Amino acid sequence: MRAALAVARKELLVYFTTPLAWVLLMVVAFFSAQFFNGALDAYRFVALRAVELQSPQVLDRLDLTELVVGRLLGSVAVFLVIAAPFLSMRLWAEEKRARTFELLMTAPVRPLQLVLGKYLAALAMVAACLAVVALFPLLLSFFARGAAGGSAVEWRTVATGLLGLFLLGAMAMAVGMFVSALTESVVVAALVSLLLLLGLWVITILTIGVDGPLRDLAAALSAAEHLGGFLAGRIELKDVVYYLSFVVLGLYLTERAIEGRRWA
Amino acid sequence: MIEVSHLTKRYRDLVAVDDLSFTVGKGEVVGFLGPNGAGKSTTMRILAGFLPATSGSVQVAGFDVFESPREVKRRVGYLPEHPPVYDALTVRACLRFCADLKGLPRQTIGSEIDRVAALAGVAGVMGRVAGNLSKGFKQRLGLAQALLGDPEVLVLDEPTVGLDPLQIREVRDLVRSLAGRHTVILSTHILPEVAMTCQKVLVVNQGRLVDFDTVEGLIARHLPGRRVTLDDIAFLEEIYGKLVTAPAAGPGPA
Repeated sequence: MRAALAVARKELLVYFTTPLAWVLLMVVAFFSAQFFNGALDAYRFVALRAVELQSPQVLDRLDLTELVVGRLLGSVAVFLVIAAPFLSMRLWAEEKRARTFELLMTAPVRPLQLVLGKYLAALAMVAACLAVVALFPLLLSFFARGAAGGSAVEWRTVATGLLGLFLLGAMAMAVGMFVSALTESVVVAALVSLLLLLGLWVITILTIGVDGPLRDLAAALSAAEHLGGFLAGRIELKDVVYYLSFVVLGLYLTERAIEGRRWA
Repeated sequence: MIEVSHLTKRYRDLVAVDDLSFTVGKGEVVGFLGPNGAGKSTTMRILAGFLPATSGSVQVAGFDVFESPREVKRRVGYLPEHPPVYDALTVRACLRFCADLKGLPRQTIGSEIDRVAALAGVAGVMGRVAGNLSKGFKQRLGLAQALLGDPEVLVLDEPTVGLDPLQIREVRDLVRSLAGRHTVILSTHILPEVAMTCQKVLVVNQGRLVDFDTVEGLIARHLPGRRVTLDDIAFLEEIYGKLVTAPAAGPGPA
């Protein structure tokens, strides 16, 4: 376990001493702010229209958490799928390119420990991105007051939404790490994992206009479909299992790919 | 300490190492000589457990490299052909990471890092980012990393590449000081280095062993009747030339 922590520490040190982590966090902050502003504007527009039309039913149904935070998190999800490959790309490919892979492989350490260490660092990066995103609901809660005088932000829904995003990020990192273990080129690693993840994200468009089992299959495979529950405040077992199976599969295949180097 | 028997490594149809067998005793310093592409680096990578052998076996301190890799890796300090350096980290952080990977006891890590840094001559650049170091310093950082934890066996692939003449002498002195307590196998193109630091010389050509003997033994066999002193290096060039230009007809009479 100590070796795994040493690897995680080293990875985080590299992420934060090179511009990579800072650029990414800046980009996350910028886009989250744009999404947040957009969602807030849309909310204000709908609210003003409801007041104009004097329809209290609509006003009652307007939910700040759902309309603003839910939209923000939904938009951030796509962004996460696109950004994760650029974080995971260097995990192994960079070691091979810089010849430090030889150092890792000749250290008295099991490949699994190296894999876990790197993955831990990747999860920490996902958490750091989500921490930036979480600032926006926090900001909202300072200014928005609910009807009962309490906070207008339902923190439980926000929390499940963030949990969903974290699981999505964990899945993306596991897939990306496996791809990175297969190549020496960080560019190839980024592009291939981007292709895989975007494919899983938009897989349902293949079955537009199709009914029956094929459509169900596409929906079951889609990374986007499984996020809906979390964003609506529900933690469903099938969704958790979906993301975690990618994580386990990704970790297992990466370990095999690294261990396989010892055999050929 | 190191037992290599019938080691063969093939990359598809290229035979990099061909039925190589030799034994290195405890405390010996062995120089590994051969032209480019003779299979030196491949052999060293197999010794360090980075590459698997196609056939044959390698034992270090009684452990098979393939069967119990971690036992072997714990006992081997390895300097690869390209010094493994994390460009983004400082020298100290690099060494710290290697020490953690090797599982050195926590209490002594700081003093151990300072010890190897002093030995390898990187003590003055501990705070610098490794990516900005010159080739020579990177090489010495690689050497420091191999020395971490005071391993019984050192496998050094061209340890003096990129160093200036004075540094080469320092490394030579360092290797000599390791003899006795440590088993060292080092590859090099620089013949004087072998004569000055190694007790035994292992010459390979096209993946095959052409001779393996002490420096004195080589002189006696290949330059019979010639009186040479170890300060006079030309004799080694002559022997080396004889060995590697002759068709690789199989292991010599070692």
